[in-house]
This record gives sequence, structure tokens and C-alpha cells, in this order.
Amino acid sequence: MFNYFHNHIHAFNRALVRVFSSFGSSLMMFIVIGVTLFLPSSGLLIVENVSQISNNIAYDAELSLFLKKNIKQDQIDFIQSALDKSLIIKKTHFESKLTAWDKLQSKLNLNPLDTGISENPLPDAFFISLNTFNEKEINILISNLKNIDGVKNIFFDAGWVKKLRSILYLLKIGLLLLGIILIIVLIVVIGNTIRLQTLTHKDEIEVSKLIGATNSFIQRPFMYTGLIYGLGGGLITICTLKLTIEIFNKASINLEAMLGGTFILKNLIWQQNLSVIIFAMLIGFFASFFTAQQSIRKFEIFK
Amino acid sequence: MINFEKVFKRYPGNMDALKNISLEILPAELVFVTGPSGAGKSTLLKLISSVEKPTSGTIIFENMNLSQLEARDVPYLRRKFGMIFQDNKLLYDRNCFENVSLPLAINDIDGIDINRRVRAALDKVGLLNKEKIMPISLSGGEQQRLAIARAIVSRPSILIADEPTGNLDREYADEIMNIFYSFQQVGVTVIISTHELPITPIKFKKIHLIEGQLNNQINHVQLLS
Repeated sequence: MFNYFHNHIHAFNRALVRVFSSFGSSLMMFIVIGVTLFLPSSGLLIVENVSQISNNIAYDAELSLFLKKNIKQDQIDFIQSALDKSLIIKKTHFESKLTAWDKLQSKLNLNPLDTGISENPLPDAFFISLNTFNEKEINILISNLKNIDGVKNIFFDAGWVKKLRSILYLLKIGLLLLGIILIIVLIVVIGNTIRLQTLTHKDEIEVSKLIGATNSFIQRPFMYTGLIYGLGGGLITICTLKLTIEIFNKASINLEAMLGGTFILKNLIWQQNLSVIIFAMLIGFFASFFTAQQSIRKFEIFK
Repeated sequence: MINFEKVFKRYPGNMDALKNISLEILPAELVFVTGPSGAGKSTLLKLISSVEKPTSGTIIFENMNLSQLEARDVPYLRRKFGMIFQDNKLLYDRNCFENVSLPLAINDIDGIDINRRVRAALDKVGLLNKEKIMPISLSGGEQQRLAIARAIVSRPSILIADEPTGNLDREYADEIMNIFYSFQQVGVTVIISTHELPITPIKFKKIHLIEGQLNNQINHVQLLS
């Protein structure tokens, strides 16, 4: 068993020697993998950040509940108690028609005598903050509230958030598809490089076969080469992502005064960094595994 | 040890490279496979070492029928042979030590043992002081000796050499042949294909091939001294 692991260590060392003996082309390979993985991961990072913001907006979204004009105070109290009982309601704010009318007049500098409006056109209203964005729960709440006597209209004010979330969802799907396509491209590029390497090491493969090496023995250094390519590429992706986040956030802070707000991208946590690296290594490993397997079989001399 | 029974070998689109070969090689024998170019000497060696499969007939080695060997078992069989090629097939991107250690790595032998055995093999062929040197800087004779060190490092019971002195001048060739004789004298079966029989007085078996067939004078022991 020890010898078996020793053999793997030996194969890994050979792979390291191969990678560093042609460091220029290996570096190119790292960059190709790094940049290819950077494209979908940076897109997903931005979408993820925007999604989080949209989620926060959704929790602050309000349900506007307008009451009938001739509603009595005991009916208002009943509605208030009904709203207090609901679990998905975070808080309620009652705005009487008088307060609303005063606010509107002061805001628009209206004088009822000038406008010719003889009576207050506004109804009493409840403004409700929800602690969920589950459409089903909200619809149930709306239909329940509609059945209460004295309720005239209900408006759900988060329609634009829904649209934003739909757009983000579509973007995520698009980025995933782009990611899949780029991963296929990556597999082809790594596979082709490994295939060329098997041709470069044709003599070594043939001699090894002649003196009794199994295909898996010959394959090992190529697999580890793919793994190292993945590691290098993954590290480049992480570095590029971190650099992009830094530059973006700096620019965002500088533009704060002009735009009146900032949009800060969250930095990657270590689990995300590790996932990117492991993912890149897996791509490298499997691409080289299948290519090396196929190429080495072609050198079969036992006929 | 090795038995050929009515063995034929035909390459696609060609005539038979070997026709109806029946012979026996005994343990610790020194065997010379001779004949003109194209007689089938290399093919015979390839069949013994399972580099090629016979078209028909049976080859028995250590109770195994090589003609029915599964491809997955071939690497393990080849490890029983030490093989030396006319073009020596050294790896020129590895130094002498690394070239010789390759069969040991294939055989899953650990690091300390590798050092000891590689040095012993290099010592045997007189290249111990050149273990860190790249093969390209060795002379033709030294390169062939390095190939022999690689072949013997895993202590095979059979050495197979395909025209090992074909590219060497007489002095180097004699040097190489003497190394083979020394192995045969310690019990290793040595099978050598060659154009020329040795001039050194030594006991050997001659297998003479002409156009893929055994010459009727073959398979007997010749004594030159």
C-alpha cells in the first residue's frame, strides 16, 4: 500500500516537473482556465449580490389596504385586530383619511377652496409590511382581507421587485448555460493540451508499456498535470475575482456622491474560494483523465 | 521454460513472418536467434515477450499460454522479462539513474530499495559513476550498457535482446556480449537475436531462421570450446 502511494507521489512529482519545465505554456494554460472560469463566476457573483438586495427590498414591500369611505370606527378596529393576528405581517400602519388629506394638501400646497374640492376624496388606509415574499401566502392574505367587510381595495406594491427577481432568475439561468458552455470549452482545451503532451511523451509511453507498465501507471502523471492546471487556473480565477471586487467597490464609493448611494459587492468567503479551486481542479482532472486514457490506448502494442 | 508449438505469425497484408515454429528454450540457456534480415528474428522475440500475439499455435511460458493472454495481463507478464532493443529506447529527458529506476517504479518498489538496486545495476554494467549524467552524453556502447542496466534492475529470469550490438563496433560489441554471458552464467536465460555468432568460446543454443522458418540445423547445442 505504501509503495502504491509512493508511486502516486512519484507521478505527482513527474507532473510538477512537466508543468514547470515548460512554465510558459503552463502559465498560458492557467490563464486560459482562470479567465474562462472568471466569466461565469463574476456574472454569478454580481447576480447574487443584486438578488440579496432585491430580497431585502421585498421584505420592506408594503400591502396597501384601502377602506370604504363610510367605514365605522369599530370596523376599523376589527380590521386592525385581524391584521395583528396574521403571522406574515411584520407591522401595520393606519393612516386615517383626514391625516392623509392633510399630508397631501401640504405636500402639493393645495387649498381646497382653490381647487374646488369640497370633501376629502381619500379613504382610510392600512399600510402593511410583510415578513415574507412567498406569493402563495401573500395571495391567501389578500383574499382573506378582501372578504372583510369595509375593505375596498388592496394593492401589493412589490410588483417591480417581482419583475427584478424574474430578470435576475433569467440572468442566473443564462449565466449557468454560459458556464456550462465554457466548461465544455475548458474540457476540450485541457484535453487537447494533454493529448499533445501524450504525443510529446510518446517514447516514454512506448518504453513504459514494453517494460510492463499498466495504462493507469502511464496515465497518472497526465492526470496530475490536469489537476495542477486546474489548481493554477482556479487560483487565477479567485485572484481576478478579488481584484474585480476591489476595483468595483472602490469605484462605487467614489461615485457615491454623484449617484446618492453605493452598491458594494460582497467579497468571497473562504468556502466559495475553496469551491472554485476544487471545481477547477476537478475539471482539469477529468478532462486529462479521459483524454490520457484514450491517447494511451492508441499506443497499444499488444496485437 | 518457453515452448513454441506450431506457431505462425502473419502481419496484416503480408506474408507469414513466422511459419510453423516449434522450439523449446530451457532455463539458464544462452540462445542466439540468427538469420538474414527479414527472417523473423525480431518477430520471434516479440512473440516471447508478448509484444505481439501469434496468429496461430501456442506459446507456453511458465504454464501460461501466451497466445490466449488477456490484454490486461500483458503488463504483468512483461515485467518478468528484461528487454534490450537495438535502438536501446532510452529516455533522453531523464538521467541514467532515472532511466534505470523506471522498471522498479513500475513494479511498485519503494525509494530506498530503488536506490540500492539501481546503483547495483549501474555498477554491474560499469556506469555507477555516471548515474546523474543524461544518456545523450554517453557513447553508443555506454548507452547500450545503460539499457542493459535497465533490463536487469528488476532481476528478471529472462533477458531478451534484439540485435543489441547491431549499431556498435567490435570492441563495444564484445563488451556488451560479455555482460550477457555473465548473466547467463548466474542462471539467467538470455535470448539474443544477432547477425553474427560469438567468437568467444562459450556454450549456446542457436535458432536459425530463414524466411520465417526454422532451419533444419537449429535447436541443438553447439559447443565452441
